[in-house]
Amino acid sequence: MAVYKHSYSAYTGKVTPAWMRLFVLSRYAFDEAWSSKISIGLLVFCLLPCLTSLVVIYLANNPLARALVGGKGGEMLAMDAAFFLKLLEGQCWLALVLASWIAPRVITFDLADSALPILLSHPISRFGYLFGKFVALFASLSAVTWIPCLLLFAYEGYSSPVPWVAANLHIAGGIFAGSIIWITLLAFLGLALSSWVKWRVVATGIIFAAVFIPAGVGGIVTAVLRTRWGFLINLPFMISSLWQRLVGAPAPVNPRWSLPTEAIVTMLILTCIVCVAMLNKRIRAREVVRG
Amino acid sequence: MGIIDLNELEVQLANRTILNGLTGQLQGQAIGLLGPNGAGKSTLINTLLGFHLPSKGTAHVFGLDSHRDRGQIRGGIGYMPENDSFIGNMSGVRFVRYMAELAGLPSDIALERAHEALFYVGLGEVRYRKVNSYSLGMKQLIKLAQALAHGPRLLILDEPTNGLDPMARTRMIQLIKDIRKEGSIRLLISSHLLRDIDETCDEVLILKNGRIAALCNIEEERRSNRSFMELETVGATERFSVSIRGLGCEVACYAGGRIKLILPDNIDVRDLYVIASDQGVQIRRMNQRRDSLEDIFLRAMENDTERTAHGRL
Repeated sequence: MAVYKHSYSAYTGKVTPAWMRLFVLSRYAFDEAWSSKISIGLLVFCLLPCLTSLVVIYLANNPLARALVGGKGGEMLAMDAAFFLKLLEGQCWLALVLASWIAPRVITFDLADSALPILLSHPISRFGYLFGKFVALFASLSAVTWIPCLLLFAYEGYSSPVPWVAANLHIAGGIFAGSIIWITLLAFLGLALSSWVKWRVVATGIIFAAVFIPAGVGGIVTAVLRTRWGFLINLPFMISSLWQRLVGAPAPVNPRWSLPTEAIVTMLILTCIVCVAMLNKRIRAREVVRG
Repeated sequence: MGIIDLNELEVQLANRTILNGLTGQLQGQAIGLLGPNGAGKSTLINTLLGFHLPSKGTAHVFGLDSHRDRGQIRGGIGYMPENDSFIGNMSGVRFVRYMAELAGLPSDIALERAHEALFYVGLGEVRYRKVNSYSLGMKQLIKLAQALAHGPRLLILDEPTNGLDPMARTRMIQLIKDIRKEGSIRLLISSHLLRDIDETCDEVLILKNGRIAALCNIEEERRSNRSFMELETVGATERFSVSIRGLGCEVACYAGGRIKLILPDNIDVRDLYVIASDQGVQIRRMNQRRDSLEDIFLRAMENDTERTAHGRL
């Protein structure tokens, strides 16, 4: 083909390897996610707590600042697991806000105008398609969770006058593992719920609802039946317990109400499986009409 | 080996048999896929693309199994679906480039080919507009552009003239003819419009109720020594048609005394007049012409109906 000739000619050049095409999907999904000014605004908003933490870490390692705030302030500026747990919790909940906005942007444009038959007629599988979208979402959420948290951890290690990193390496591991688990869950949840809703704004609301409505129901079950198992559908409670255990911070709740780690992990895996099943049902090149 | 080889292909969807024992070899430069609504045309296309797993038999495209080697097959296919299928939020050129990259073209070449494909189909001037602002005809054209951009070996067009006004239809048909003439691409065109297939294809596969009603080379069929006739009669048309069938003619009767028939070589037109005279039937009009695709289609439909009726008996 040539623009000036307006004629067709076959393509005889080289083609890219199959694995690279998955990242074509990721690249375009990433572009769609970040093409909105609201996405950029949310990113900036999500990084504000990190900026605050950066200042706190600086002050904690500044002898003059420590002297100024006195003995009680020293406790406040302690760089321990509790500080990084708060940072992790803050970032991860902000990641939920970001995910609820960008996850629908990643997938609903394809579904709104039935682009799946064309997309899947190319040499990519349904798994490849979802993997590409997942990578875009995972990378976007990483930018506000484990990456800034670990950078702050590294900054604390660099700023601390005493050897700090070696003694607190488990915190970094906890931050990394806790963030990965959360953003994986968010990516699955975001993609699965967005794939079933045509309107992006509604999808955003549904993602929030999927996290907080079962949490409310779980709270009611726990209060009425006086059983801790109601927390099994309380995602915020479960994930907070998991983060606390991963980072190694002191437990904030009465041990009577805490859930076993195995139960939490099982529930999170079950949630992911449900999301995969929803995606499997929805992401198809053709709908099978029954009757 | 044909471009598409079907071997006892059976596809079931939701416990319903949609394609039933299709066997045949398609090897034309442009293959038409004809049939009434619900005949299984789109299901056959989806099976060739690897979207449906055959419940029995196999389908091969360029010698590759449609399900096992679907990745490889899709790499060499350009597909234009029947219904709206695009990303409305993207500009035309970005959408076509995206599809070309997914087909395996490097990013820079994909962009170049996207521009070329859009100019080729006539969307050059609107290529920076968002796809959801395009008219129906433009949406059909952008689906064609994305199917062409990566230079496929086989172009599958599912109802390419659907919803187009006469001018847009003519433009689409002309494009298909140009692509066919260029010679590097084989075409599989599904349509229920005989005229579209007649103008663009050299081979036709006619489906009815998930079965092959006819598979023939249109040109050969036209060239074959068939003397096709249309009669308008008044009188005992039914009895007359039975009598001329007795002569060895293939006959189809229609309302208002219209009869279509194919005369064998050994029968003379005069014999028809003799029978008509004997039975008091008036032949008001006699039109002798070559076989059209419409006739091939109607005959295929009729044969299939007869076959079904015999099967029931």
